[in-house]
Amino acid sequence: MAAGRAASPLIDRAFLERLERLTIHWAKSFPGLVGGHNASRFSGPGQEFLDHRNFHQGDDLRAVNWRAYMRLEKMFLKMFQIEPRVPVRLMLDVSDSMTLGQDGLSKFDYARRLTAALAYVGLVRLDTIQIQPFSDRLLESSTSGGGRHRFSPVVDYLTALPAGGPTNLMKVCRSFIGEYSQRGLVIVVSDFLDDADVEKPLQYLADFGHELSLIQIWSEEDRTPPWDGELDLVDAESGGHLQISFDEEARERYTRSFDGYSEKLRLLALRNSGRYVGLSTSMPVEDAVFGPMVRSRGVA
Amino acid sequence: MFLFNLSLVEFMALFAGVSGVVAALYLLDRTRHKHRVATLRFWTHSDAPSEMQHRRKIQQPWSLLLQILSLLCLLLALAQLRWGSPFQRTRDHVLILDTSAIMNARVPQGRLMDQSRVAAKAWLKAVPKGDRVMLVRADTLSTAATAFESNLAVVDEAISLTQPAAGSLRLGDALRFAKQAQQVQDHRAGEIVYAGAGRVSDEDDGFANSVTNLRVLPVKGTVENVGLRKIGLRRSPNDEKVWEVYGTVRNDGARLRLVPVAVLFGGGLAGQRQLTIAPNSEQSFTLDLRTQAAGLLETRIQVNDNFPDDDRAVIEIPTQNAVKVTVYSNEPDLLKPVFSGHPRFDTSYRPTAEYSPSTDAAVVVLDRFAAAPPTKAAAIWISPPRSGTPVAVASTKQGATLTRWRNDNAIGAGLHTRDIKLDEVSLFTTKPGDLVIAEVAGGAAALARPSARLVALGFHPMRSPLKFELATPLLFANILHWLSPEVFLRWELNAGSAGGQTLTLDEEPAPGSVKVTMDGGRAVPFTIEGQTLRFFSGSPGVVRVNDGKQEHVYSLTLPDIASGTWKAPPKAVSGVPAALESSPVARDLWQWLALLGGAGLIAEWIMFGRARRLFRAGTRPVEPVLRKAS
Repeated sequence: MAAGRAASPLIDRAFLERLERLTIHWAKSFPGLVGGHNASRFSGPGQEFLDHRNFHQGDDLRAVNWRAYMRLEKMFLKMFQIEPRVPVRLMLDVSDSMTLGQDGLSKFDYARRLTAALAYVGLVRLDTIQIQPFSDRLLESSTSGGGRHRFSPVVDYLTALPAGGPTNLMKVCRSFIGEYSQRGLVIVVSDFLDDADVEKPLQYLADFGHELSLIQIWSEEDRTPPWDGELDLVDAESGGHLQISFDEEARERYTRSFDGYSEKLRLLALRNSGRYVGLSTSMPVEDAVFGPMVRSRGVA
Repeated sequence: MFLFNLSLVEFMALFAGVSGVVAALYLLDRTRHKHRVATLRFWTHSDAPSEMQHRRKIQQPWSLLLQILSLLCLLLALAQLRWGSPFQRTRDHVLILDTSAIMNARVPQGRLMDQSRVAAKAWLKAVPKGDRVMLVRADTLSTAATAFESNLAVVDEAISLTQPAAGSLRLGDALRFAKQAQQVQDHRAGEIVYAGAGRVSDEDDGFANSVTNLRVLPVKGTVENVGLRKIGLRRSPNDEKVWEVYGTVRNDGARLRLVPVAVLFGGGLAGQRQLTIAPNSEQSFTLDLRTQAAGLLETRIQVNDNFPDDDRAVIEIPTQNAVKVTVYSNEPDLLKPVFSGHPRFDTSYRPTAEYSPSTDAAVVVLDRFAAAPPTKAAAIWISPPRSGTPVAVASTKQGATLTRWRNDNAIGAGLHTRDIKLDEVSLFTTKPGDLVIAEVAGGAAALARPSARLVALGFHPMRSPLKFELATPLLFANILHWLSPEVFLRWELNAGSAGGQTLTLDEEPAPGSVKVTMDGGRAVPFTIEGQTLRFFSGSPGVVRVNDGKQEHVYSLTLPDIASGTWKAPPKAVSGVPAALESSPVARDLWQWLALLGGAGLIAEWIMFGRARRLFRAGTRPVEPVLRKAS
């Protein structure tokens, strides 16, 4: 109830009710982690039996299988699956380029709604959710877990989240790797419009051991600019100017180039056993979650 | 050159303004539109770079020049620029074809209309190529059948379709119309040609003398005509069952004529007269027709002349309905003298015991009894009892004196008595809207209630000294007129010709009380000045004028034959020429200017507009120049 009341400005109750049946999925197993539903191949202090191994000095005597000792006169140690404790990390792009959009809906607003939806899905399944905003650096993050009743602070946090600044994904990824040594699922919600190369930093994250789930958000204006004629373009982040003569043919080339860029991101994600979803802000968030994201098996 | 009648200076000012607007639009179109974008990384693949120049500077002067020159060509095309002297213009002729009723006359040389058409077509062949002709059909009204047409085949076809109308010719109006039509055109005025018989009313000759470019195409043959000019019917003032038929016959021929007039009603001969009419004169006749039936009254003259259309006239006599009056009285002999005097009332007398509310009578008279249930018809209550009547009796007086008749309403109008003492009189309680007719000391002795269509008399006129007074039959006449005004409507029926009609009413009508309608209830415009009513009907038909008291029916079926003969002014040219004088004509350039202007705009679009980018598709794009904001 509390979650629904707090969520009303960002996400409505009917949508939340539909999200209840979803779960965030990932493919890899991470040592010592994992959410409430994801089984781990790593042993640890859990409840579920995993395997036996020979007893070594210093092992906990409470885990010795005494029945096997009485029968075989050898000490075997019972091993258990570890409990999930490593959070799902949602990296949210809050740079200036995200503040643009069409029909009054910016990419930033869209990304916030989508992040809120994913956070709710995780909280419902008792995952620990960490929202990590970034622009050219990592900003103050928010971590929550323990069920759906913790969703209200998440909404408050996202609602109050400011946007601004340039994008520097390389610097952000380095900081991220340095700050969070525990590997896990990293969902990056961004337009990935950085003047520098974005493939390299994302590859760093994958090589470090994180499972990447890339959600690229664009407005129709980003993919198919509606203007014609002589244009004076201003980069929202760098302030750079470009004076250009734009026509139908140039528009087609532009869109082809944009689509090629998105394809590169998709291949990068797939190459690293991750997922890629491209979303236009013209598609409602609800349709995006239950459409492309479910189809990509990111949530199901 | 003709563009809103502008002079050259004004035209150049207009052109300069348009050029300024084009230049401003050009600069606006070439202005860079600023947009904030998420990234510039994909834009580097788009088309040709723009030149880094000040945006207010004209970057494509040839494009602007081509646009302005193209617009100049289009403006000149709109202005109908010509090559040659402004005086070398084609001429505008007006052909007035007489379509008055007399043009249907047949003379030994043929029908006048056919002769006139042949002459008009012969003149049309003599018109030089390039000159324009307007055809005007002239009778009571002058109507342009065509605009000024340079395609003379159109005018020729319009001449072939022209037929005589029912009105007389107003040649002066037609000539004024033709002259004005020539004056408002930019072309030179050509001839005004009149083709017709020239039969006009006396007031129509005068303006023709001022027309210097007049040509007359006369028709041959003398029209010998005797015809009905006017037929009318009205009720005889002496006998309601008799119609007075009156009419006028005119002899427009050159010899004395013996004219038999026959009046037929319902297919049978109702009367006849023999008239002897001198040349160019007219004679009237009257006869009586005794009938109350409706039907067609046909008046016919039996002569052999060139114009048979005015030898017969038909008037429809309407039905004269009588109003049924039922008198419920146990002493009917008292009231019989009052109601038996009017022929349009069909009165029946019944005892009060036979009273029935569902009567078919239009007016019911209730003599001293309470009619229950009350009748739905209009009612006259005479000395009603205290109960069972819709009019409340306040009190009853013995030996009251009738103090006055109220002359301010329709029922009491014109009533006057002196020292009438009523033996017994009931005084009524009045309601708002009631009309008090007679008063005694203490209240109303007679009243009318318009909402219920009833009149109540608190006394019996025939059982009091009033029976010896003239006011008594007048009182009942007024009551019946008030209850059934349609019965007293007088009829006057006339047969005439279409056109303007003037009617003198008996008295000045109240505003809004007069209706003038044609067949089907279509309103006819009219004017009223004092007692004179004028209306105009351009087409034959039946026109009804109703002023509330009298209905005049005009059967406008007789052709209007003018009595005068128009004489062409001495300056007017007569006959069909071999060929009209042709003059050198300035050459029109607007077609070529329009083509040139259009081609210029298309060329500009191809060379400098968006089409350039389409034509250049496939060429290698040039990387745009990127510069950082300072």
